[in-house]
Amino acid sequence: MNAIADRHAAHDIASIFLYTHEAHPGEHYPHLTSFEQKMRHAQALRDVYQVTRPILLDALDGRCHRAYGSMPNMTWIFNRGGRPVYKSDWTNAESVENALNYLLEVGERRRKGERLAPFRVERIDFRLQDQERFYAGLERNGPKAVKEFSTAF
Amino acid sequence: MKDQKLLEKYNYDAFVPENFIPWMRFDESPPLWDPAPDFPLWHLDGTETSLSAIWSRHAYTVVEFGSFT
Repeated sequence: MNAIADRHAAHDIASIFLYTHEAHPGEHYPHLTSFEQKMRHAQALRDVYQVTRPILLDALDGRCHRAYGSMPNMTWIFNRGGRPVYKSDWTNAESVENALNYLLEVGERRRKGERLAPFRVERIDFRLQDQERFYAGLERNGPKAVKEFSTAF
Repeated sequence: MKDQKLLEKYNYDAFVPENFIPWMRFDESPPLWDPAPDFPLWHLDGTETSLSAIWSRHAYTVVEFGSFT
């Protein structure tokens, strides 16, 4: 996602990471009880995962996250007018880039004079399941996070 | 829901189905192309901004929601 942000920045496309809450609280990164702790977690996330996009924080009660469906790792794309033009219940870089390329193409076609009307479409995209990386993330949070995930699924 | 109760429920302390499943509400999320709800957000230096302040400055804005996992 960082690479996509870099590739599309020149096309007036901004990318941010919105820190929400700990989906898998563990000994190292426990559940949040204060905004100061939330800030520390977000700063650690930036450093550990080397997130180069701006990281922003939601309120401690997750009011933004909750309003948008509160999935643990979803992605939305908004246009300048504040209308969502893409939403996915899971983040996948290929899916996001596919959407951005399409939106840029729409802009190009409009500049050439085509009259284009919006319509809604639903489809299923597919992502590679990287279990090794996911479990490494759980282990980073702590043994509790690993155990609870294994028990839940 | 009372504020403190909401804070504890949202920031649950264990990944167990009764804690996380109630929050998986993507089907109830705002529809595409309808004006989206705006909320305050904070930079890592503590300064306040908002979702609309960000999306209004660019042709498109990609927002990835997430945490450590």
